[in-house]
This record gives sequence, structure tokens and C-alpha cells, in this order.
Amino acid sequence: MKRTFDTGNAAITEAAIWAGCRLFAGYPITPATEIAENMSRLLPQVGGYYLQAEDETASFHICNGAAMGGMKAMTATSGPGFILYADPFGWAVSSEIPVVVVNSQRVGPVSGITGAPGQGEFYLSRYLTHGGNYETIVLAPASVQEAYRLTVRAFYLAERFRTPVTVLADQMVTDGWETLLLPETAEDERELGLERVERAVHPGPDFYPSTDAIDIPPVVLGHNTGGACSDWTPTERGHDTEEVEWQHRHAWRLIHKIRSNRALIDEAEEWFVDDAEMILVSYGTPSRVVKSAVLAARERGLKVGGIRLVSLWPFQDHLFTRTAAYLTVELNWDGQLVREVQRAAPDGSRTHFFGKCGELPSVAELLETVGKILRNEPLARSGWEREAW
Amino acid sequence: MDRLAEKYFRPEKYPGTACRGCGLRLAHRKVLEAADELGLETEDVVWGTGIGCSGRQTFATWKGDTFAGTHGQVYCLATGLRLALPPEKRIIITAGDGDAFTIGFNHLLNAARRNVDMTVIICDNLGYQSTGGQYGLTTPGGARTDSSPYGMWEPNWTEDGFDVLRILKEAGATFLARHTVLDGQAPVESIQKALLNRGFSLVQLVYPCVTHFGVHSLGTRNLAEVYDWFRKRYGAGADGLATGIIHDASGSRPEFGARLRSYTERAGKGDAA
Repeated sequence: MKRTFDTGNAAITEAAIWAGCRLFAGYPITPATEIAENMSRLLPQVGGYYLQAEDETASFHICNGAAMGGMKAMTATSGPGFILYADPFGWAVSSEIPVVVVNSQRVGPVSGITGAPGQGEFYLSRYLTHGGNYETIVLAPASVQEAYRLTVRAFYLAERFRTPVTVLADQMVTDGWETLLLPETAEDERELGLERVERAVHPGPDFYPSTDAIDIPPVVLGHNTGGACSDWTPTERGHDTEEVEWQHRHAWRLIHKIRSNRALIDEAEEWFVDDAEMILVSYGTPSRVVKSAVLAARERGLKVGGIRLVSLWPFQDHLFTRTAAYLTVELNWDGQLVREVQRAAPDGSRTHFFGKCGELPSVAELLETVGKILRNEPLARSGWEREAW
Repeated sequence: MDRLAEKYFRPEKYPGTACRGCGLRLAHRKVLEAADELGLETEDVVWGTGIGCSGRQTFATWKGDTFAGTHGQVYCLATGLRLALPPEKRIIITAGDGDAFTIGFNHLLNAARRNVDMTVIICDNLGYQSTGGQYGLTTPGGARTDSSPYGMWEPNWTEDGFDVLRILKEAGATFLARHTVLDGQAPVESIQKALLNRGFSLVQLVYPCVTHFGVHSLGTRNLAEVYDWFRKRYGAGADGLATGIIHDASGSRPEFGARLRSYTERAGKGDAA
């Protein structure tokens, strides 16, 4: 095992290359630029290509084109670029082309603050493209080491499910410096939980199976198999069609290939949930403060637990079976994760939201809020900061 | 057409869904004739399309491998694909005037700047016809369309001193030609030259839309009258646009894929560019 001290951006780069990524196309944006810079430095050393595209849509579509030709590809951005990925992301979803997408969230809306962490793209990562009729996979790292593992995992899932996979990080993960362990042997790889799927070529002719089966290799052009790859609703042969029946089959496949195989995707961490009267829910960097707050609350004898979502989408409703007071801790002011928890939590539960932006909450702030909720006291909030969503 | 259609087109996609009298079929024919005369087989070509009339009606028509991009994005897909394909594979893209010269123009210019090896055939029907006939940036000045009911008023890319191909030349394209689909063998020869150029080539093929442009802008659905208008606008000595080979600098600039492969190889050894 090679032990280094590096950023999440570096971890993501190293992971992508380990996973077999040989093309990166991107457009510089803080705080994800270092991924592009690292890729431009490292990819040529493994015979891979770095391209700085003319804009974000081009970046993603260059990745799509390379992936359609059989290469593993990745792009990285932050919120203002992520929204521009809507079009090519949809193209990859519909034509079932695997690409890995990294979004290092910063404070918004729009350009916001470049160097401060936010979590404003929780829903955007689910509903990035138009037209609906699809399910998606989103993974959320909370540390530099996890950024490495989840980037590798994103490539693995992208190949198995023939779909783009999003790594939804935040500025603290990508810019943060921590110990990073890199595998050197097969044993290291096992220990770090790393898996790799090599790209295979689907021989056709049934390029778009109307089943929810996975592990069907993606369409790869250039082999003269009559491969057809497009944004149009396809028939089984890959042709475009105006038949609603085919649209139904296509949508069914896009949704259920992921939902029916979610055991491969679902991942979460739970702390003291079994007897908890109150459960803190979070993902990404804030979850590290949440974990400390849960431990501190337990030391004070409070029955507080925590859930950290590692995979965000498909949403893990099954984690919210306990009737309790839930508190989501998020790096946004409007409350996004809270809505899903409110929906998933059993009847009789209460759901609360703690927002912060640009900086992490403190353990003390969380303990104070936990105490008030447990004592049924109203939460102290400034006038514009209402607990309604 | 039948022999070539049988050789290159999927039987279920021929004769296609274009309107009666549409010049798009003539545009296809020119490309097939050029490919056939060069001895290209289906396995030698990956065929891409954009949106609009030419995009939708050309996608998955080629018997070999085929792809389509969303509005104005197919040049980016082709740029990525170029790196994954063996250099000897040809990429042909049939896209419309709106896809290329409007929404995708930035990407088209960058593909020209990079000299990405692809042959772009612009099937130019002078506007947005598949959406019902709105003006585009090659619609003639004064032409009445669904979105220029009092006549096309915007400066466009092909009149009043503008020539979109000149912009592409400045951007670095290494082969540029313009024809109408009524020009006989000349467009076939230009497409052949375009296919032989290992770099960014573009052939603008202007073709008549009878259904919308004919009816709304020329006031006739009569095929002969519409075709006559085209001959007058683009024919020799006409006031219209120059046709023929506009710029042939084949092989004069390094091709994108070759350049990036060479850079990658040198950089991999630690050499500077």
C-alpha cells in the first residue's frame, strides 16, 4: 500500500486511472479544476488523452463519443458546469453509454462562491436531464480516501449498468487534504474494496434489450456490428422510432435496470439507530461532524443515532423504518435531503432540517439543536430561515 | 439509387421518411456515389447525424455503425469517437444548417480548429423545416417563413458579404466546398476529396424543401419551379453564393487525433510539446 497525503481531487484522478479511464474532457471550474489539471499530467503517462473542451456540453459529449468508441471516460465540474451537463447526461442515459461524472458542489445558486462547500445539487443530481423516465446512480464521498473508492466504484457501476454515474462530492472533499492509501498489490485492492470491469463490446443485434438485465456490454461503434447509438427512443435494434410502445419499453428498462438491481448500489453507514429516539441524517463532509455529534450525544446519555448516505440515488427508503425524530444536516439553506427523509420516514415521525452553507456546522450547534428537538422546544432561527419545505 | 441503397442502407430505413420532392434523398445519393467510387464499404465508415430534417431522416439509415447527437452536439461526439476509432475509419456526419451553423456553430468551429478528421455534409434546406419552417441563418433575406412572416430580416451567414465557409476556413478547416444537390457530378467529386482529406472537411449541400420553404418563401409547391429558383440562386453567374471547392488545404495541417496521439506519446516519455 502506498501512503500519501493528498487532496480529494488527486484521489479522484488516481482512482479514475486505476479504474481504466483513458479519456478526460473537461472545462476548468473551481473547485474541480485540479481534477482536470491532474488528469492532464497523469493521463499521457498511461497512454490516455486529456482534452480541454470549449465548454461543458462539449466536455461531456466528447466523453460520450469516446465511450461510444469503447474507451472509459470521465468529466468533472462544479454546479455551474453540472447544470450544463443536462443535455449530454441525458444522451448518455438514453443511449446507455457509461461515463463517470464528478460534481464538486460549491455554494450557489449559479456561480455563488467558488471556494466554499455547498450541497445544492442533491435533486439536480437525480433530475439532471429533461424528459424524466429514467433512474440514476449517485455516490457521495465524505473523505479523500472515500473519493478514491467511490470513483473506482462509479466506473464499475457505470459499466455494469450501461449508464452515466455521478460522484457528488463537495468542495471540502475535493480540496481537502488527508491521508490517501493507494493500492500496489492485488491484496491492497481487495483491502480497499476496489473492483474493475473491463469494457466489452456488445455484439448486437439487440442493442437495447427491453428487460431490466444488467451486465450487457454497451454499444461500441467501429466494429461494424450495425451499432446504432442516439438520443432518440430506440427500438430493440437501436433504431429511432415514434412508437409509444417502444418508448414505454425503453423507459421501463432505464428505470428498472437500476431499481431492480439496487442491492449492488445501496450503501450507507449507520450509528446507534436501533434504539434511537432521534436520528441525524446527512451525506458528504457534514456527516463527519454529524458522527461526532452523535457520539457526543451518546456520551451525554441521549438516544441519538445517525445515518450517512453513501449512495444517494436511488434513494434508500429502507433505511428509514424507525419511528423517531429525524434531523437532516445539509450544506444548503432550502432543505433538499430533508424532503426525501420526510417522505420516507414512517408515520409518527417528526422531520427537521439544519441548514448551513459555505462552512460546516459545529458539533455544539448540532447538540444544541438535538437537545431542543428532544425537549420539544422551538428551534431558534433567524426570520428568513424557516423550517418549511 | 437502388444498387447503392442496397449496398449501404438498411432496408427498413429506405426510402426513408423525407417529404415528397425533398432534396435530401439527392444529398444522400451524392454521398453514396462518392463513397462507392472510393471503394468504401460499410465497415469503413461510422455515420453520425444531428437534429432536424437531415438528422432524423438520416440516422440509422447507414447499414454500418451509426450515431446521432442532440442539437449541435454531434461534432463533440465525433471528436471523442475519433480518439477511440482506428485512424483509418471514416466519420461522415450529415447535419442540417441550423444544427451546424447556429446551435452547434461553436462546436463546429472548434472541430475545424482542431482539424478533427471527419467529413461533415451540411444538408442545408435554408431553415428549420422539420419544426414547421422557421428562418435559419442561411434563409435568404426577405424570405417569408413561419417565424419571419414579414420577411427574413436578420443578417445571415450567406449574404451581404458573409460567408459561413470563410469563417470555417479561418477556423482551420482543411477542405470546404459548396454545391446544390442539382449540380450533377461536381458535389460527388467534392465529397470524394473531402473523404480523402485526413482532417476536418465540410461540404455544404444546399437542397430544396418543397413543403415549407417552397410553399412559404417561394409561394409554390411546384417541384420544377422550386428547383428553378435554386438553379438561379446558385448557378454559374448567378448573384447567389459561390459554389464549387471553396478551400482545399488537404493534408496541410496535422490532424487532431494524430496530433494528440503524438503529444501523448511524447508527454508519456516526459518530453515537452
